[in-house]
Amino acid sequence: MKTLFQGSLSVAYVLLVLFLNPLFAAATPDLEERTREIATELRCVVCQNLSVADSPSEMAQQMRSIVREQVQAGKTPEQIKEFFVSKYGEWVLLKPKTTGFSSLLWILPYTALVIGMLAALWFIRRWSRTRQIRTEQTSQSGETLQIQSDFLKEKFDQPNLEDTSPRANLLRERGRLKEELSELEFDFQSGKLSEADYLTLKREIESKGATVMQQLDALPPEPKTPKEKRHEPNVLRRNRLPGWQLVAGAVFLLLFGLALGVMLTQSTRPRTSENDTMTGDFMTGTTPPTGNAQAALNEGKQAFTQQDFPKAIDAFKKALADDPNNAEAHAYMGFILIQAGHGDGALMAFDKALSIAPNFPMALWGRGTVLYQDKKDYAGAREIFERLLNIVPPGEERNEIVKVLAEIPTGTGPKNPSSAPAPSPLAPAASSAQISGKITVDSKLKANVDPNVALFIIARPAGGAGGPPLAVKKIDKPVFPLNYTLGQENVMMQGTPFAGKITITVRLDKDGNAATRGPGDMTGEYKKNPVEVGAKNVDIVIDQLTK
Amino acid sequence: MPWRRLVIVALIVGPILGLLAFGFTRDARYITSPLLATPATPFTVTLFDGRKITLDDLRGKAVFLNFWASWCPPCRDEARDLEAAWQKVKGKDMVFIGVALQDLDNNSLEFLKEFEVTYPNGKDATGKIAVDYGTWGIPESFFIDPQGRITYKHVGAIRASLVLSKIEEAAKSIASAQEGKGDYQAIR
Repeated sequence: MKTLFQGSLSVAYVLLVLFLNPLFAAATPDLEERTREIATELRCVVCQNLSVADSPSEMAQQMRSIVREQVQAGKTPEQIKEFFVSKYGEWVLLKPKTTGFSSLLWILPYTALVIGMLAALWFIRRWSRTRQIRTEQTSQSGETLQIQSDFLKEKFDQPNLEDTSPRANLLRERGRLKEELSELEFDFQSGKLSEADYLTLKREIESKGATVMQQLDALPPEPKTPKEKRHEPNVLRRNRLPGWQLVAGAVFLLLFGLALGVMLTQSTRPRTSENDTMTGDFMTGTTPPTGNAQAALNEGKQAFTQQDFPKAIDAFKKALADDPNNAEAHAYMGFILIQAGHGDGALMAFDKALSIAPNFPMALWGRGTVLYQDKKDYAGAREIFERLLNIVPPGEERNEIVKVLAEIPTGTGPKNPSSAPAPSPLAPAASSAQISGKITVDSKLKANVDPNVALFIIARPAGGAGGPPLAVKKIDKPVFPLNYTLGQENVMMQGTPFAGKITITVRLDKDGNAATRGPGDMTGEYKKNPVEVGAKNVDIVIDQLTK
Repeated sequence: MPWRRLVIVALIVGPILGLLAFGFTRDARYITSPLLATPATPFTVTLFDGRKITLDDLRGKAVFLNFWASWCPPCRDEARDLEAAWQKVKGKDMVFIGVALQDLDNNSLEFLKEFEVTYPNGKDATGKIAVDYGTWGIPESFFIDPQGRITYKHVGAIRASLVLSKIEEAAKSIASAQEGKGDYQAIR
């Protein structure tokens, strides 16, 4: 009995191994594939139109691992998607649902397409019919056409009812035929008559009308009234589209094109900040920033660092003309005005910047400086610097703020007029706010350099490994040795000062994506990291190859 | 009749343009949470002092749950307000919990020290709690009533006065119809 039991156990074991082994062998790639399939349909919640599968962000990685866990737990793709919908709403689905209100998104385009095609067909048929009728009319003899066109005159002066003369009778008959023709037209337009019947009946009435007209012509002539003279042959009028319709159509098309063009360019422009909406306040009447503003801003900053203030003023003015809500340009103008000794003007510029971005550190620093140095408003300055202290993360800039706060006297009078705040890393610094040097590739790795890769020069605050890079510069298809400079224009978050101690690394990236690392990427770092901003000859050798 | 044609064209084109204009006025990145007035997902967070807190243990108390990171300026902006609010409700049947996201322990601890935060704080190392609460921008704050239902959500920096009024509402199980919005920063 025991042997039988053991035997069946062994058989069961062998069967299990046989059946399960192929499954186990296929488990990992299948799991990854299924995870990816589901992740492709989920929208990354911190990116713009990227799927969870494609996004390199930390959040997307965490979402992918949740998907993987749920796949492993045996949940169906629908259940997994439903889980994310329950947390983020249907927004999280890259493909909207085909049920409920979202089904409209699927149905409406096709409905519009069908309606459009039907409308186009209807118009084409109508136009071709009109043309046919016109061709038929023009093919008739000139005399009959003339008579018929006279007959088709829109308005007739009905003769007096008491008048029983032959002319009056003929005129009455003409009016009756005209009415009959109008009714026929109406019946045909409303679809009560076939085209063949319509044409036959129409010809019949027209020939009757022509006979009446000929009889009328045969009568002795009667002087025409001025009203009659004004009538034009109706055939021509009817076949011509009135001018106002053409103009209205053209104006509408022009306006529609303009609206579409403006809205499309608005929606596809790069956003300048987290709070920047798709329209860039277009709907509220303020001008959205364009690339020109950014270019002018960069030009201004460069001129500022070189202390070429007239050029900087011109550039910032240009930037503000293009984007009056550019807080950075206002703040820079403020600093230029401080340099020129216009405290009030500077204060206005900083206030303007702060009205746009209430927590903009550079403008807060500027305002605090003016209040302290120029206005001797110590309470006001203290308030501003304390506000700044709450926003700025620990580091060089923060220490500077603490130092200034300690210097501001608590009383109303100046403690020491000469102890004005030193130029802070928060304020746009002089031309020394750059790091420059040369990048070379180690001789052993030179053969591995792909000429089409991108080079990233990455600056991180020293000791702040967890945060995003402070500044990044991308150079496509670099040629070595390469001279580089890294400065304020390369910072990733607008308003963050390029200052303090910085760790510099470089990476030759095969896929050109700074956020991902892959085999074949080459890296290097400055051997004496960290380095102070302003340092020159920060030479880096690329000497590491990612396997 | 020409005017009839105009009316038909206006009736067709008007709604399309209206829809287009409406779409352009919306912030495509803002995610309206479906979690208001729904049961809060249970979670366990390991605090920086090593203790563990589970949401289920807090039944019967109004809970203020705040997601933050030391690298996020709006989180720094609200930190003192949160501590001030906590000092006012401490001792009542109310609990404040801070959960750090995508942050290094040292930086988080430095942050807590700098702003003298005294209410319990831990970290969400895997990001699971953040996803369970549909988090996408920080700071994000949730108010949970004694029955474990989310009564209010606020994306972005929140002021002490609002924290106090919303936690009072949560204690009475009054759910808000809409979430609030302040200065926020998208998580990474």
